[in-house]
Amino acid sequence: MSTADARPQGVLRLGRHSFGRDRLLVMAILNRTPDSFYRPGITWDPVAAMEQVHAMVAEGADIVDVGGVPARPGDEVDVRDEIKRTVPFIATVREAYPDLVISVDTWRHAVGREACAAGADLLNDTWGGWDNLLVEVAAEFGAGLICSHAGGLRPRTRPFRVAYDDVVADVIDTTVALAGRAVDAGVDQTRILLDPAHDFGKNTWHSLEITRRLAELAATGWPVLVSVSNKDFVGETLDVPVDDRLAGTLASTAVCAWLGARVFRAHHVRETRHVLSMVSAVRGDIPPARAVRGLA
Amino acid sequence: MITAAALCPSPPLLHPAVTGRDPVLPELRAACAEVAGRLARDEPELIIVIGPADATGAWDTGSRLDPSRYAPGIARTGRRSLPLSLGLGAMLLDQAGYRRPGVLQAVSSDEPAEACVRLGAELAGSGRRTALLVMGDGSARRTLKAPGYLDPRAAAFDATIESAVRDGELIRLRRLDEKLARELMVTGRPAWQVLAGALGARQPVTEVRYCDAPFGVGYLVTYLRPPTGADAVP
Repeated sequence: MSTADARPQGVLRLGRHSFGRDRLLVMAILNRTPDSFYRPGITWDPVAAMEQVHAMVAEGADIVDVGGVPARPGDEVDVRDEIKRTVPFIATVREAYPDLVISVDTWRHAVGREACAAGADLLNDTWGGWDNLLVEVAAEFGAGLICSHAGGLRPRTRPFRVAYDDVVADVIDTTVALAGRAVDAGVDQTRILLDPAHDFGKNTWHSLEITRRLAELAATGWPVLVSVSNKDFVGETLDVPVDDRLAGTLASTAVCAWLGARVFRAHHVRETRHVLSMVSAVRGDIPPARAVRGLA
Repeated sequence: MITAAALCPSPPLLHPAVTGRDPVLPELRAACAEVAGRLARDEPELIIVIGPADATGAWDTGSRLDPSRYAPGIARTGRRSLPLSLGLGAMLLDQAGYRRPGVLQAVSSDEPAEACVRLGAELAGSGRRTALLVMGDGSARRTLKAPGYLDPRAAAFDATIESAVRDGELIRLRRLDEKLARELMVTGRPAWQVLAGALGARQPVTEVRYCDAPFGVGYLVTYLRPPTGADAVP
């Protein structure tokens, strides 16, 4: 039996929680960086960052994704710096929220190991398995793993004239193979997600295509995470700067939710939560909060 | 012989499946459950549910309301649905654990008062100890946000119903203005007149459990029983 046949068909386990297929989750983005692309430096200060966590949890975040290195090129952040930015903060969040699912956005196994020791439940390997040892860390700690398609790019680089015969096929082949490798390494298969990684190793056309055909990735049976929040494909599609991409982000979120994505990495937790609840209700997975119109 | 009766409204929102996650108007639901539960506990030989519908006639007692008609997306029962009023009445009796004989009696919204009163007298004359669960609503034009918008005559009309019920003077219900009731979107009129016919000249003792119009529709929940010797006023 191939790994693809062994894929899980339902429950997703993260931290202490089990989530059924119908439950759509918000992963709130928390950047411990002075220079991320969206609202740079806003959560650089640890106190401000914790305030932000409180707010995100109150708004309905299921997962908080803590990152210490911007995706875009820029000043070098070495392993020690990255650990300093993320690990003590993860420990603080874990202390405040024993049940919250904490994710660490890193491609480095050394960072992943420290983060898991401090309480992280999930390794968000945005750069698509660049560091072979990261899966070992996930297996060692019983943590989850996000298997992403970065188009083979090295971390913190931008796509340059990328082309695919079929970007969706490439995404599926790559991420399913990463998931299989993780299972072989001993990662709990109910804790593995696939991320097509919008914008990573992709131009805007590619990101629109993976959005349009997201159902094909969902049909692999692996839970799918999407990270579309405020990204360049939204900006280029609508010709809007980074602070004017909420509507485009939410539209993409709704489409991905409709087509089968289950976890949504987002800056705007409340709005994303509303979109997901709306999609779930339209789909008939959840009832309205309160229906009285025409029923009195 | 009528041993007891209960009045309940019949808005779809009384069904727990259609209001979503919020149990809208729990106090209304509790009041309905209480009076229906008392009917069941009285152990009559028969409970007749009376409710307005498109046409007068008895429905199969095995039928139930299909709430998916009001909330598509929830599971269908797959069977022909009772009219709303009878369906909610049957639901209340089911919830009360009532398993004994019942009759589901629809009365046409257009049934004239005399016919309603006659029907009530027939239902009461079976010789069996019979309780009535009467489903009907007041005006749906009580407020600006009401389904039928505000009609300034609505409050007075509903107040007439309420005082007739509180006073046990159900005979007054026989004289309700049918045309005005229709204009005020009062759906309970024919069912109340069946009740008035069933009780005849007897003045029941009444306990009003709920009387309000939280969504601009008049809801009245009452338990009624015919007077006994102990109730006689010296």
